[in-house]
Amino acid sequence: MLLLVYVFVAGWFVPLKPGIIQVTPDRGEAGEMLILKVTGYNSSFLADTSLLRAWLRLSGDTVIQAHHVQAWDDRHLSASFYIPSVFPVRQEAYPLALVLDNAVDGASVLPNAVFITPAKEQDASESSLWFKDKIEKVHDKAGIQYPFRNILAETIRNTYFHVPMWFAMIILFGVSAWYSLKYYKTGLIDFDQRSVALIKVGLVFGMLGLVTGMLWAKNTWNAYWSWDVKQNMSAIALLIYAALMVMRSSLEDSMQKARLTAGYNMFAFALLIPLLFIIPRMTDSLHPGNGGNPALGGEDLDNTMRMVFYPAVIGFILLGLWISQLVYRTDKLKGNL
Amino acid sequence: MKLDKSYHISGLFQRRMNLKSKLFLFLMFAVQLVKANGDVAPDFIRSIGKIYVVAGVCLVILITLFIYLVLIDRKISRIEKRQKHE
Repeated sequence: MLLLVYVFVAGWFVPLKPGIIQVTPDRGEAGEMLILKVTGYNSSFLADTSLLRAWLRLSGDTVIQAHHVQAWDDRHLSASFYIPSVFPVRQEAYPLALVLDNAVDGASVLPNAVFITPAKEQDASESSLWFKDKIEKVHDKAGIQYPFRNILAETIRNTYFHVPMWFAMIILFGVSAWYSLKYYKTGLIDFDQRSVALIKVGLVFGMLGLVTGMLWAKNTWNAYWSWDVKQNMSAIALLIYAALMVMRSSLEDSMQKARLTAGYNMFAFALLIPLLFIIPRMTDSLHPGNGGNPALGGEDLDNTMRMVFYPAVIGFILLGLWISQLVYRTDKLKGNL
Repeated sequence: MKLDKSYHISGLFQRRMNLKSKLFLFLMFAVQLVKANGDVAPDFIRSIGKIYVVAGVCLVILITLFIYLVLIDRKISRIEKRQKHE
């Protein structure tokens, strides 16, 4: 309980790092001046205007620096660039990332901020402009904050609420399969009751994971359901378990019920592993880290987030186990009458 | 099996199905509600760095778990009542 209180407090009140929300215009032509209006998030552009700098980055060190940056307020600034008429590489359009830096906020990046179309008249000597400036001496933001990710913005906090639902569901189903195995070995009806209680609560957590995921997806991927592998596979997994409960309620004899449930449950858990862990890793997915390894390492979860994420996972798992204990005890009381 | 007449929708099921069917119905309503919100005011939900998405997710989790616990509580009360009669 304390863990979950901590998770809700820290998950909500630790601020986000500054970031860039919007840049207008989002396209321009090479060989011309480009004045960008930038909207920041949690930013403090006015804090130290002398150190406010902006760059447009093509790749790596291929950047041009803004020759003038004007902050209007803490969240709005204008930056003017001269886009050279010649690029070091040849493409039909050039996506440029915007990099901002100031002493208080530290550096923030917006990838693909503007798209530049090639110039009609090209001056080959301007190519060297791309290598004149460098992004250097960037600042770091002090204090405890969550990273700012484009599109995600504040919804990065959902990592503490949506993801632990699935962790809890998997643990509940796993423990349930363990009790089913025990029932197979001993034939004690008590183990059957325990495993069924765990499945019931696991289903609740799974549905919560699905619903919260859909809500999150609507506002980041623009659809409740985008037929993403992980979405589909988790829905199938839930259906398998739902079918188990339906099958159970259709049987009259409690011994038969218990035996079939135990067998089906172990089979369902064995299916759960490829459905949730193997198939999504084999194809592309909108979920982070698929087609590779999920997000526990690497950039998606920094150390500040880990301090909340792991307690969240443990907290929700314990909550699930506790609720399933309650369900088990009520079912048992009901059965004894 | 006795049918529970006080619950019109879940009364179609046996008594022990009440809990699950209610929960399922609630989730359906929650999705509908969220959907309606998304259609009417996407700008509101996505304002302030989409913080309302986090609020929605937390509310869905808290409300669902709360209702689930209340349902368990009512089940226990029913058992207690029956125990008294015996």
